Amino acid sequence: MLSRFYLSLLLLSGLVFIAFITLATYRELTPEWKKYQAEYREMLIKNAKDEAAREKARRIKIEQQQIYLAGLKRVDRCMNCHIGVDNPLMADAKVPFKQHSGDYLKNHPPDKFGCTICHNGQGRATNKKEAHGKGRDTHWDFPILPFKYIQNSCAQCHDYETLRHKGGEMVVKGERLFREKGCKGCHKVNGIGGDLGKALDGIGSQPIAYFPMRHVVGEQTTYNWLKQHYLDPRAIVPDSEMRVFLTEEESDLLTTYILTFRTTEVPREYRRIRYVPERRVDGESLYKMYCIACHSTGKVSVYDEILKRTIPAIMNPAFLKNADDGTLRKIIKEGRKGTQMTAWKSTAAGLTDGEINKLIRYITRERPDEAAEPFGFAEFKTDPKHGKELYDVRCALCHGEKGKGGKGALGINLTNPVVQKELDPEFLARTVRDGRSGTPMPPFGEEGLGLSDQDIADIVSYVRTLAQKK
Amino acid sequence: MSSETLDKEGVTRRDFLGLAAFGAAIFSALSVIAGTLRIFKPNVHYEESKKFKIGKPENFPEGTVRKIDERNLFIFSDSDGIYAITAVCQHLGCIVYTTEWGFQCPCHGSKYDKEGNVIGGPAPRGLPWFEITQNVDGTLVVNAGKEVPKGTKYIFA
Amino acid sequence: MGDMSGLSKFKENLLNLKNSFLASFLRSGRLTSDKSKASVMFNNFFLHIQGVKTHINTLRPTYTFGLGLITFFLFVIVVLSGVLLMIYYHPSVEEAYNKIKDIIYVVFGGRLLRNIHKWSGEGMIVFMILHMARVFYTGSYKKGREFNWVIGVVLMILVFGLNLSGYMLPWDQLAYWALLIVANIIQSPKEITDSLGITQYFDIGGFFKELFLGGTVAGQESLTRVYLLHVWLLPLFLFIFLAVHFWRIRKDGGLTKPDEFERVEGDLSYVSPPEKKGGLFPTYKTYGLMELAHGRTPAVDKDVENTVLSWPNLLLAELAVFMLTLAGVLVYAYYVDAPLKELANPLIPENPAKAPWYFLGLQELLSYSAFMGGVGLPGLALLGLALIPYLDREQEYVGIWFSNRQGRIVALQAFVVGTIVNIGILVFVVNLGWFRDWWPNVPQMLITLVNPGNIWVAFMIAWSAMVMKRTGSTRMGAIALFTMFLVSYVIFTAMGTYFRGPNWEFFWSKSQWPIH
Repeated sequence: MLSRFYLSLLLLSGLVFIAFITLATYRELTPEWKKYQAEYREMLIKNAKDEAAREKARRIKIEQQQIYLAGLKRVDRCMNCHIGVDNPLMADAKVPFKQHSGDYLKNHPPDKFGCTICHNGQGRATNKKEAHGKGRDTHWDFPILPFKYIQNSCAQCHDYETLRHKGGEMVVKGERLFREKGCKGCHKVNGIGGDLGKALDGIGSQPIAYFPMRHVVGEQTTYNWLKQHYLDPRAIVPDSEMRVFLTEEESDLLTTYILTFRTTEVPREYRRIRYVPERRVDGESLYKMYCIACHSTGKVSVYDEILKRTIPAIMNPAFLKNADDGTLRKIIKEGRKGTQMTAWKSTAAGLTDGEINKLIRYITRERPDEAAEPFGFAEFKTDPKHGKELYDVRCALCHGEKGKGGKGALGINLTNPVVQKELDPEFLARTVRDGRSGTPMPPFGEEGLGLSDQDIADIVSYVRTLAQKK
Repeated sequence: MSSETLDKEGVTRRDFLGLAAFGAAIFSALSVIAGTLRIFKPNVHYEESKKFKIGKPENFPEGTVRKIDERNLFIFSDSDGIYAITAVCQHLGCIVYTTEWGFQCPCHGSKYDKEGNVIGGPAPRGLPWFEITQNVDGTLVVNAGKEVPKGTKYIFA
Repeated sequence: MGDMSGLSKFKENLLNLKNSFLASFLRSGRLTSDKSKASVMFNNFFLHIQGVKTHINTLRPTYTFGLGLITFFLFVIVVLSGVLLMIYYHPSVEEAYNKIKDIIYVVFGGRLLRNIHKWSGEGMIVFMILHMARVFYTGSYKKGREFNWVIGVVLMILVFGLNLSGYMLPWDQLAYWALLIVANIIQSPKEITDSLGITQYFDIGGFFKELFLGGTVAGQESLTRVYLLHVWLLPLFLFIFLAVHFWRIRKDGGLTKPDEFERVEGDLSYVSPPEKKGGLFPTYKTYGLMELAHGRTPAVDKDVENTVLSWPNLLLAELAVFMLTLAGVLVYAYYVDAPLKELANPLIPENPAKAPWYFLGLQELLSYSAFMGGVGLPGLALLGLALIPYLDREQEYVGIWFSNRQGRIVALQAFVVGTIVNIGILVFVVNLGWFRDWWPNVPQMLITLVNPGNIWVAFMIAWSAMVMKRTGSTRMGAIALFTMFLVSYVIFTAMGTYFRGPNWEFFWSKSQWPIH
């Protein structure tokens, strides 16, 4: 006689086990994709032109489809559902049976390229949600690309000349925007560019967690982050200093282009990049590439709410009249510590001396012919004390009592190292005397504002001591 | 126990319980074993496509034999057209080489004539011929997954 | 026989094949008599680990709840499913993640298989701790079983190690950051050597971290090591210690039972008693050879009338529990998927980077002091656990849940007081912070020595000392201490699991976490 208790326990557990192993087997044998493949087969049988074709369709096996791509290190199982993708009979069928649009597959046969190399998504997955990789709960960093951004995938293998004429125009236009909106003024690419923003190398291959998704509207994807961030940087990253002004359409173009910055490189046998001679870069393109984001036209200097400081008008004739090439070169090469102006020398932001010269030539193209009247600072015997008295009355209003400028102040910060050490006092004295047209800085040497050359020299000598006074 | 009433004719209730319980246990064990064996069978193979490109027709001038080493395949070209014969011996999978009378396998001495028919040695069947098609861009594609009758030669523009 | 030709003998043998094979297999003939039922037990390699006869108390479900057995069966399931996973898994940082994905997507039943492996592994932790609690509260670490309790503690470490190493193999974000956290726990003695200023001569933490990772950062070398630990080294040790664990139970005369065992109504519904008195194994004997054995271990001649034959009583019970375990794991694995996050990325930490749940109690302690949470307090806890049988040597009340009425009261008091004090400490820390929030320049050594974790442990020890003084019983002190230990393991684990969010800050629920 066996214990009824343990027998019942055994029976009950056994029945539960059998029930669930049956359920599990059923679940295993009826995946989503089998339904699609069965439907596809039915369609082929129904639409077969002759008996032979019908017989052929009947013999189609319903089985796991897989494209193994050793070279690309990918495994794509998309054709489990998108089974008619290379079948011309399916040109008008509904998704997922539809044939691939256009004639892309002619040169990109799926058994060599697979699907995800262009479309992204999770090739290994075998159900719709996880294969498309949408939603953070799928834990997949590269969800299927919307068609409007898909051209970025072409740039993995094709050069811009090909793209321009053969369906990659969004990448080409985006690249142009990238060049002309001064993105590299703040972002390094391949080691060249400013330091204010993050380097952009490999940004298209970054996982979603790299991007602060908190304020993104809609799906939390890399491309949504990029686009919304171009439309309004501070809506996505509250303390961003990014100065970017793009239309909706331009944002899409730039997003497409930025997504081409990938860390993964496809094998050489896939690439079709012809040798393209390096673009001749003139001063204007350099200005657009590196400077325009902050200095815009360079004609007027205005207080910028984003950078919290006055951006100097570097192409203003009055400034150029005063600033000789040496001064400009010094400023560009060393940058201005304490401001957003990066040091552009080759060891920092990465511009060569030649490029800097080209830039200077471009900036100074409207420099007035006659040079500024020399001030002769060195000949004056200066009195900083008298300078301070004058400074407090005449200058402190705009530049602040300690010379630090500050929020809402019209004048620039005078305590920065460039003003304090690197610039010639002669340059400062001339600026005080002649003012800076296009900015609020008036010419103090003119009659009416009434500072004598001796006064100006005293003020300049006082200003040069500002950094020491803590 | 003593309170248990025995049905002289057949099984007691408890016997039925025992039968059912052990039956369920045995069935469970069998299903686990079956599932375990099934797991060993791979659903997918990590192998590249059996279809592959071999180049344009002009790369195969009349009267030549080329061996595609990485695919173990001979491509012949004669006045009747181009055809593909495998280099894998049908005995135990060694690689055959061409001779003046056909193919010879170095491992166990199988011999094939020029069409791939067995003429000696242990091979159970002849060397299969594969289908060749032409892409829109003119390149030839061999499908090593699809055999064609011996003697099928293709003429391409 | 002489008149039979060779061929007819052959025919005879052929017809008898089934019976002769069975007889040679079972060695005991058909299982009709007590003799044959007994001999099947001691003639079988696998069954002989159990006694020929089993005490009724052992088969009473409410005595053991089958907890140890369930843990063992989970281990069996985990090993078998693990071997099946090894068919498709490949321990390389490039492939591991993809292989797990393929197991989920294209291996037949792979998703279920992985879930079964994962959940039976973690189930081992749960049932192992419950089993430990059962053994403790029934006083089953006494009377010759002291060393087996120590082996149990070793098994516990191995089970934790197996779970943890398995957690790292998928090489996803969870795995990578758990690996890194564990590596840094291993490194945490550095906190002490740093405070003493001797790290440059004696960097024991860094040394062990390097042994574990095979370098200074987590990468392929670390994965290889963790894989080796998971599929070979730790299982090997677990097999060895498990065998000793079982063998000693057998040598100690089976499971514990009260000295004065009384049958209660219903006991007999779990067993079928020996069919007749007299026989080969009369009720006044346990089993032959043991009568010759000396020493105090086996329960020879004691309480014989309350024993029944193991075949079929014990084996049926074991089979039923095994089936129950299997069914339970299957149902759980059918509904709950094992987690798999994004591919490991060394540049982007999960925030919060959490260890697996069974270590989140430690991670909470770790947030006070890396050394104390990672090495000091767990080391102390394991040492304390291992020493319990040697520090409480009272031999009464073995085999009785909570010993006696006083024991029940002590346990209840410890439970209530422990819960209140432990939660109180957490509330204090969450609301007011600790030394470094008040005095930013406080020396690390002070925090290592005085932090909420240490204070809690000190309180547990003080409380149990007080109980010992009041009751005059070391067993009561042990009950108080062990109860508080369990309480705090649960509370700290729940704290780390449910109430800690990004930057290890307190949140009432996960829904309040700021979106990254």
